[in-house]
Amino acid sequence: MKGLSYRSFIKVGFTLGIAASLILTGCSHNNNNEAASAERKASAIQLNYWTPFSGGDNLFMTEMVDEFNQEHEDIQVVQMNSRLDDYYSRLRTAILSGNAPDVAIIHASSLPQFVQNGYIEDLSRPAQEIGLDWNVYNKAIMKAALFQDKPYAVPLDTHVLVMYYNKTFLEQAGVLDAAGKPVISKGEAGFTKFLQTIKQAVPSDVAPLAQPSTRIDSVWLWWSLYNQIQGGGQFYNQKGSQAVFNNPAALKALRYVDGLYKSKLIPPNIPDAFKLFNEGKAAVLITGVWATGALEKNDQLNFGVVPLPTIYDKPAAWADSHTLAIPTQHEMSAEKREAAMVFMKWLAEHGAKWAEAGHVPSESAILDTEAFKALNYRSDYAAAANAVALWPKNTKQHSFIEDIIKQFERMNYGQESPEQALQKAQNQINLELSK
Amino acid sequence: MIKLLGRLQQWFKNLALARKLILVNVLLIVVPLSVIGAYSFSLFASKMEEQVGKYQLQMLKQVTLNIDTYMNELNRLSLMPYQYQEILDFLSTTRKSGEPLSLQEIDDLNNFVSKVFLNGRVDIMGISLFGEHGASYVVLPESQYMTTYQLGGNTEWLEKAKGRFGQPTFITTHDVSSTSGTVYQVFSIARELRSFDSGDTIGYIVIDIDPAAVRKLMSQVSLGSKESLYMTDSAGDLVLRKEKTAIYPPIEGLSEEGVSHHKVDGRSLLVAHVSSEVTGWTTIGVVPISELMKDSLVVRNSIILIGGICIGLAVLLSVFIAFRITSPLRMLRSLMRKVERGDLKVSFPVTQWDEVGQLGNAFNMMVSHLSELGYRLYETEIREKDAEIAALQSKINPHFLYNTLGSISMYAEVEGNREVVKMTNNLSRLLRYSLSGRKDIVTLRDELDHVQGYMTIQKMRYEDRIDFRLEVDESLYGCPVIPLMIQPIVENAINHGLDKGIGEGRIQLSCYQEQGMLMIVIEDDGIGMTSEQLNAMRERLNKIHDLGGTSGNGLMNVHRRIRLHYGEQYGLQLESMPFQGLKVILTMPIAYSMTG
Repeated sequence: MKGLSYRSFIKVGFTLGIAASLILTGCSHNNNNEAASAERKASAIQLNYWTPFSGGDNLFMTEMVDEFNQEHEDIQVVQMNSRLDDYYSRLRTAILSGNAPDVAIIHASSLPQFVQNGYIEDLSRPAQEIGLDWNVYNKAIMKAALFQDKPYAVPLDTHVLVMYYNKTFLEQAGVLDAAGKPVISKGEAGFTKFLQTIKQAVPSDVAPLAQPSTRIDSVWLWWSLYNQIQGGGQFYNQKGSQAVFNNPAALKALRYVDGLYKSKLIPPNIPDAFKLFNEGKAAVLITGVWATGALEKNDQLNFGVVPLPTIYDKPAAWADSHTLAIPTQHEMSAEKREAAMVFMKWLAEHGAKWAEAGHVPSESAILDTEAFKALNYRSDYAAAANAVALWPKNTKQHSFIEDIIKQFERMNYGQESPEQALQKAQNQINLELSK
Repeated sequence: MIKLLGRLQQWFKNLALARKLILVNVLLIVVPLSVIGAYSFSLFASKMEEQVGKYQLQMLKQVTLNIDTYMNELNRLSLMPYQYQEILDFLSTTRKSGEPLSLQEIDDLNNFVSKVFLNGRVDIMGISLFGEHGASYVVLPESQYMTTYQLGGNTEWLEKAKGRFGQPTFITTHDVSSTSGTVYQVFSIARELRSFDSGDTIGYIVIDIDPAAVRKLMSQVSLGSKESLYMTDSAGDLVLRKEKTAIYPPIEGLSEEGVSHHKVDGRSLLVAHVSSEVTGWTTIGVVPISELMKDSLVVRNSIILIGGICIGLAVLLSVFIAFRITSPLRMLRSLMRKVERGDLKVSFPVTQWDEVGQLGNAFNMMVSHLSELGYRLYETEIREKDAEIAALQSKINPHFLYNTLGSISMYAEVEGNREVVKMTNNLSRLLRYSLSGRKDIVTLRDELDHVQGYMTIQKMRYEDRIDFRLEVDESLYGCPVIPLMIQPIVENAINHGLDKGIGEGRIQLSCYQEQGMLMIVIEDDGIGMTSEQLNAMRERLNKIHDLGGTSGNGLMNVHRRIRLHYGEQYGLQLESMPFQGLKVILTMPIAYSMTG
């Protein structure tokens, strides 16, 4: 048998086998890298975070949330933003239906209604566990977050009513000084003259002062001015059983506000004052500090910002605060609560970033950081955070303000006098308080 | 072709048996296994593809259903204006652009919009109400309401929403910008609002929705890696696409729903698509077939590996078996070659009793028969030679010889020469015994008579120098023996014993019986043999059958004849000592029957 032997056949057999196994091993490669990272993300604690931002500041919050998620592999925050107009009714429904988010933004003025019945958690112990020091926050705002000396929310910022002005128009009217600040004389007359000077100098379609005729803006202005008057700023009596804001000081302030509307220094039928100012159709805008971030983006606009002018005896401006709270859930794991606290603390610590939206950071130390100082405009009104006029703590404060808004809107539309508006609002509130 | 087949057939026929077996085995193993493997894999692959297609279609149907459910919700939401008469009234009013709203209108509209926002889903970004006669109320994300919008301008959505008899239309993803300048991506549902009383169009409601909600619905399904999942409107424009999916060139010509194959840019794609009746949008899922078949590759490789191992083992086994089966045949063949060369002393070891064992056995029988046959042939040859001699002998007319010898004897008688008469008469008898009337078998007496006649002549020749002695067991006279068997031995004894001149010329012939055998012993006292000569002689006697009977002296001839006639155990034995003489012993069987 030439050329045919066991050996040659065995050789062929082995070669075949090895070749086959090589093919198999060669083909069964799998790269699991992507799957692994996705899995880790999936196992992270997920926090539902509700926000009511609608003034252009949501953009900054979204950025911060993204940054936080990137820094924290084990925590994933999912933000849900809704219109401020619907936010609280949404949040109340969610809490009542056992469907509350893990972290929610609640305005300091709205905290009382959520502290009642334990709708949000007492944060004393969780804060202790993650080493959160309450003393770093602005005293006035922190006071708003304390209920019976227990902290229920982490303050994120102070947003105070400030005055934006279009430098171009003010310069035209000659009410801008060399430093770019508005020149306003003292008292009611001083401010009225300031606006009238502007009105005469600017085109007729430009509003001297832009304020919407509806919504809360006129209430903010009234509350600020009422607080500027010596002895003013009373909302309730000492016991808190009755509203007492129908008084001469409050009426004085309201009459001045009404006068601005009546004299058309605030033109009627403005749906969106911010839009008007942003489009260069208003010389002055009194609104919250949150407009800064959005206005900054407008290259066409040459604007400045100052604290609300002191028309009466002392500086004061309506202010509120975005605070972070943990709505009470039926079952919340300690890990989740800790993650929520970490997130809340992180947000407050990164106040400099949040300040880009226009807000004044709640941590006083941040005001001295380079990052904050590097921002334009903010330092112009940072001081305003020290003379704030917060709403008094009352569980029904939110709906009482709605009552006031309703009356003031009627006043703005000329359906009621300032006296009637105050009287009706107080009566309505007292009626509800007596229930 | 046929020629080639024929050649192939011939080639196969000529192939060694082991190779044939291996070839056939390998074919029988490899071909069915490969065919089964290939067939089952292709079946598996096609079934798998079919199943994946079905599964994908099912997935798409599910996701489309989810999206439809969502859209239906929006659909119902867009019906809300019909429940608010004040909204319908507002839309019916004739207004200039930016005409301020009354406090009541603001209240009503705000209330309505809030209801839509709250009752709808969180992903509603904006709500717009447009009246046919200039009324508008537009809420965009992060903005306060606006009343400056006017119908008119050939906006795409309007064209779509018009003339649908109040049916909603879905508008693909587009950008809206808030007052603060942020741009949002939304898709919208638009509905024409009509008055029941007049039947005329009052205006339109447009609800803007964050596409993230629908994307989320889409992201709940995964068709596999490198998938592409997207929706197009009826015109084929992209509505939205699942995030982080691959992008393939648009696929044209899709009908209601189904699974189809498309080849795009050299890539084979499995395309499943479902059209929604609610939105009129088509959900399309595209996955490269190569991705789907990744799993089947593992199966294929497994089949190849296991098949390869099995085939390898089977081939090895078949080689082993083929060699095992054919090895006795090969051994038989080499034995056959030996036989061909004349070596008949071969034997095939039969270890099994199958066909091969039987063949081996038959071979062994054949070889043994062959060697026997050869022996017979040999014997026949000798006989033929004897016959030849006989024929030669018969050519001399013995009668002439006898008559002549008779005449010589008579003349000698007349002359009175007794010696010549005696010699002539003995010679005549010797010749008569040797040449004529020769039989195959004679009695011992005849043989001894012949020896005595011969000795008489020899004695006269050697003038009584020969001392011949005869000792015979009388009972053995009737024994049949081969003729001319003793005389050549005696002649040899005279030649070697007397002619060499040593000894006294004594020759002793004795016949006796021993162990049932007839022993005939011829002894002389001549020169004898040296032990070398004796051994050489004995050697020759043992190999006697090899010599072919062509040569040899009287001893050999007698020895051969005895052996041929009686068998190997009989024959001639020699005993001798140098200068002491030679003793030749003939042994043969006794048979008394031949007395007659």
